[in-house]
Amino acid sequence: MDINYQFLLKTFYLVLAAVPMTLNITVVSLLIATPLAFYLAVVRLRPGKYLRRLISAYVTFVRGTPIVLQILMIYSVLPSFLNSICKGFGWEINVFDWNPILYAYIVFSLNTAALLCEVFRSALGSIDKGQLEASLCAGLTSWQAYRHILIPQALVVALPNICNITVNLIKGTSLAFLMTVKDMTAVAKVAASYGYNYIEAYMDVFVAYVIVCSAVQFFFNFAENHIGKFRLIKQK
Amino acid sequence: MLKITNIHKKYHENEVLKGVSVTVDKGDVVVILGPSGSGKTTLLRCLNFLDRADQGEMEFDEYHLQLAGASASEVRKIRQKTAFVFQNYNLFHNKTVLENVTTGLTIGRGVEKQQAIEIGRKALAKVGLADREAYYPSQLSGGQQQRVGIARAIAVQPDVILFDEPTSALDPELIGEVLAIIKQLAMEGTTMVIVTHEMRFAADVASHVIFMADGNIVEEGPPEEIFLRPKEERTRSFLRRILPPMEYNI
Repeated sequence: MDINYQFLLKTFYLVLAAVPMTLNITVVSLLIATPLAFYLAVVRLRPGKYLRRLISAYVTFVRGTPIVLQILMIYSVLPSFLNSICKGFGWEINVFDWNPILYAYIVFSLNTAALLCEVFRSALGSIDKGQLEASLCAGLTSWQAYRHILIPQALVVALPNICNITVNLIKGTSLAFLMTVKDMTAVAKVAASYGYNYIEAYMDVFVAYVIVCSAVQFFFNFAENHIGKFRLIKQK
Repeated sequence: MLKITNIHKKYHENEVLKGVSVTVDKGDVVVILGPSGSGKTTLLRCLNFLDRADQGEMEFDEYHLQLAGASASEVRKIRQKTAFVFQNYNLFHNKTVLENVTTGLTIGRGVEKQQAIEIGRKALAKVGLADREAYYPSQLSGGQQQRVGIARAIAVQPDVILFDEPTSALDPELIGEVLAIIKQLAMEGTTMVIVTHEMRFAADVASHVIFMADGNIVEEGPPEEIFLRPKEERTRSFLRRILPPMEYNI
C-alpha cells in the first residue's frame, strides 16, 4: 500500500479548515435543541395526556429511524413542501436557493431535541421531589426552584449523557454531505476523488474526528467536575 | 393569627381529612399527635399548600382564602409567611450550609446578599453549626442536617414554623440535639405547629395538643389535660400503647 504523504498532509489541512463547519452545525443544533428539549421534558413530566403522548410519539419516531433516512426525508420533502407553501401564499421565495446548511440545522436540531428530551426527563426525574417542595417552602417560585435548585442538580446527572449526544452529533454531522454541506468528511471525499486517494483522505478525517471528539469529552469532564463539586466531596 | 376551618382532603377514594379545624395564635406551640395514617402530615402539608385541600378556609393575618381555590400568588404569600421543616431534611444538595439558609432570603424574598449572610450566620450560630457554613449537606450527619433545616426555617423569620416529624428519620442518639433546639425556640416564643411521635417532648413543649385519628380531631386541649386526663377512649388507648404510665412534670 503506497501512501501519498504529500496528499495526506495537504488534505489534513483542508479537513482542519472544515472543522469550523462541523462545529458550526453541532453548536447551532445544540443551541436550538436544548431549550426545545427542556421544554418537551418538562411537559412530559407534567400531568396532561395529549401533549405528552404527542411528544412521546415524536421521540419514538426519531429514535426509531436512522438519521440518514431523516436527512434524506427532510432534504427531499421539506424544500418541496416549503415551496408549495410559498407559492400558495404568493411569496416570491425560492427555497431551493437556500443554503443547504439550513436543512442541516433543521435535521440535527429535531433529532437532537428528541434525544436530549429523554436525557433531561430522566435527569429531572431523578431529583427527589422534596427538593422542589423545600424550594417552594423557602418562598421560591417554581421557576426559581428550577433555575437555582433542580436544574443544577439535574445537570450533573445529565452531563455524561449530554456528552454522549454531543459526540454522536459531531460524528453524525458527517452525513451532512448528503445535503451538499461541506463539512470535514465532505471536504476530504471531494479532495480524494480527484486522484483516488481515499485511504489518505479517510485517515485524515479519522484523526480529525478523534481530536475534535476528545476535546469535547475533555471539556465535558471538566464541566462535570466543576458543577458537580457538591457530589464529588461526598465520594471522597 | 392562623385559623383553618373545616378542611377536607381526599386521595382518590380515601378521605384523609374529614373536616378538621385548627387555630394557632401567636406564640403557640401546637403539637399534633396520632397514629400513622390519621392525617397529621397531610394537615400540615395543606397548611402551606404542599398538598391542595379539597375544601376548607384559611384566615392568616390579613389573608382570608379558600384552600381549594387559592391562586398561585396567594399560595406564595402564605408560604412566605411560613417555614417548613421536613422529616427527611430536604436540604438543597447543591448548596452549601450557609447558602441553604440564605436561599429563602436572597432568591425567595429579595433580601440583599450581605444582609442575608449575616442573618444566615446568626441562624446557624443558634443551631450550633456556625463552623459548618462552608460544608455541603452530604458532609453532615442527619442531626446536623436537620439543625440546618431548622436554621433555614428560622432565618426567614416566619410567622409560624411547621415541623413534620422532624426527628423520625434520625438515630436515637441524634434526636436529642434537634429536640433541644426546638425546645429553645419554644421558650423564645416562636410560633410552631409540630407533628411528632416524641411524647415526652410533646408534653414538654406544647402549649396546645391535638390528638387526631382517622382524619378527625378526637380531642384537643392543654398538654396536661390530654396526657393526664384524656377524656376520649381513643386517646387513652393510643397513649397507653405509646407511653408507659407517666407523670407529667412542669
